[in-house]
Amino acid sequence: MGKLSRSDIFEAIFWLLIAVIFFVVSFSFNQPIEIYKFGATGWPRVILFLMALVALGNFYHAYSKGSKAQEGRVGAKENDEPIEYTSIGQYFKTGMVLILPLLYALSLKPVGFYSGTPIFIALIMIAWGERRVRFILTNTVLIYAILIGLFMLVLNAPLPQGNMSPFYDISAFMLKTKTQLDQMF
Amino acid sequence: MIENFLAGTATLFGDPFTIGIFVFGVLGGMLFGAIPGVSMLTLAAILLPFTADLSPAQGVMLFAVIYCTGTYGGAITAILFNIPGAPENAPTAFDGYPMTQKGMAGKAVGAAVLCSAIGGVASALVMMSATEPLAQWAIMNIGPPEIFALVFFGLAVASSVGGRTIWKGWLSVLLGLLIATIGQDPVGGINRFNFGYSDLAAGIAFVPAILGFFAVSEIFIQAEKNVSGKYLAPKFNVDFPSFFELWAHKIAVVRSILVGFFCGILPGIGATLAAFMGYGEAVRWSKNKAEFGTGKLEGVISSETANNAATGAAMIPLLALGLPGGALTAMMVAVFQMHDLEPGPLVFYNSPELIWIVFAAMFYANLSILFVGLIETKTILYLLKIPFQFLAPMILMLASIGAYISRGLVLDVIVMFIAGIIGFLLRRSGYSIPGIVLGLILGKIGEQNFAQGMQMVHYDLGTYFSRPICTILIVAGVLTLLKSLHSAFFQKPKVT
Repeated sequence: MGKLSRSDIFEAIFWLLIAVIFFVVSFSFNQPIEIYKFGATGWPRVILFLMALVALGNFYHAYSKGSKAQEGRVGAKENDEPIEYTSIGQYFKTGMVLILPLLYALSLKPVGFYSGTPIFIALIMIAWGERRVRFILTNTVLIYAILIGLFMLVLNAPLPQGNMSPFYDISAFMLKTKTQLDQMF
Repeated sequence: MIENFLAGTATLFGDPFTIGIFVFGVLGGMLFGAIPGVSMLTLAAILLPFTADLSPAQGVMLFAVIYCTGTYGGAITAILFNIPGAPENAPTAFDGYPMTQKGMAGKAVGAAVLCSAIGGVASALVMMSATEPLAQWAIMNIGPPEIFALVFFGLAVASSVGGRTIWKGWLSVLLGLLIATIGQDPVGGINRFNFGYSDLAAGIAFVPAILGFFAVSEIFIQAEKNVSGKYLAPKFNVDFPSFFELWAHKIAVVRSILVGFFCGILPGIGATLAAFMGYGEAVRWSKNKAEFGTGKLEGVISSETANNAATGAAMIPLLALGLPGGALTAMMVAVFQMHDLEPGPLVFYNSPELIWIVFAAMFYANLSILFVGLIETKTILYLLKIPFQFLAPMILMLASIGAYISRGLVLDVIVMFIAGIIGFLLRRSGYSIPGIVLGLILGKIGEQNFAQGMQMVHYDLGTYFSRPICTILIVAGVLTLLKSLHSAFFQKPKVT
């Protein structure tokens, strides 16, 4: 196995899979373009070919020299201490930090910004390991107030309103209040 | 030129409302550039509809000022949090963030302030004196083959900086290039890799991708350290660099001004490539190459001088040819169009007052970086004292709004967080995020110019080598690749 680690094998499979899947998908738009000989697939297929080739080079490098940083690489952060997980709890906590924002993004269309944001802010603080209830509540309100003040009141930026009751009604209430404030001042 | 400049200055400072817009642009650009998660592009996207109520000169001037000060502002977050405010600040983080970790944040930010101002002012002066002849030269000598060759050279340089090994550097750039192919192809408009989602027909927007790869992935990295108890708060420090420390890097400054200006003048390339090449050249000419990436002041100086030197130059293709050099200059085209104007050679004859008020505003905006920047920096460094449990959700929220506002699509927020997760996993494995982003930005430009170039030369690649600038750039790119290939096979791994 040379100096290969499990992650080196995963990486090689990942890159080769991307190259193969995208190459197969490229047949779905393999139409000729009258004014351009290489068509819509020429450029992406060259990239995919190079990607497969470099992935093999990367695999060979890991096999023969291990996955340590090459001498003189700039910006590689090779001095960073690798993070090793010692318990399932750590996997769970990191997983929560990764998944929560994605769930928030997916909920923006039905729930909207105005209702979903305070819940997300509080949850992300909990996922970060914060357990002081007063800290979470105070900072959730503070961050929410800053965002609403800056983007809704000052900059008048359009934010997602949601399309599901009662969240849509909450957004409508916020916007109505803002209009009333505008009229007052 | 001096009369025109004075006339532009008089118009700029002769009207209190115009002064107000200028001051708003200076402070807004710096502030939005320096807040992690949003950028000058967020501010520009929000302000775009409001420019309809301004005069054309005021509208374009506002965006030009935001461009200058926002480019500097993005360095602050790159240095303090490893989150570049814009792609052109990515190389600044290579050495700026390690400096913060060592307790030298003040020195790094101070150098960024001074070098951004020097690069920007130098660029503004050259822009004022040479826009017309340079535009003429560019029209005669720079075509699609040259732009493709420059993209090739830029990507070759980008793959050689960042990434734990050269292979990982290349894979990062190739991933960026692949992401750039999502959406319509630039010649025939055929949908590629949209996997049935109609929103993807317009491609992956670059603002959410950048926010995801840089800002969100950095939050995830810090969160992982926090979970495993390895999170260390950055060290607070407000010591600025001394005059002698900066004077020692005068050659790096001059070199980066030249590199930045040359890259900025080329349509579609902009400040991002300028910053990478400025940094890459600093590494190439240095006697202590190994020190780069570990917190070397010269790294910050080279990158920040080059990206601000590109701001003035980027106005040349925009004003002279009507070709934007980046996202913000593309928004300036929209400002022109909102006022029924088309940027291009005729603007010089039809609206000279607009040109000179913009030139004067850019000159003064770069000067104000020096004065306002130094005052602002002392305050902004206190961001390091805010606990990350507060800062993390704040950055995530600002990034979400920044991603959403640019096109008003929830899909962009989803793309941003997916990019964040991918960025997190790739960074853990030693891949280069700046490489991915540069591939993403330059991919479409490269493909478009390659296609146009091939049509121009009737698919005869040999013709590329009959064009001197093209030949030099391709040969330089190939040599860069060969050198890194040599090191990949014959260099021993670092002993850690």
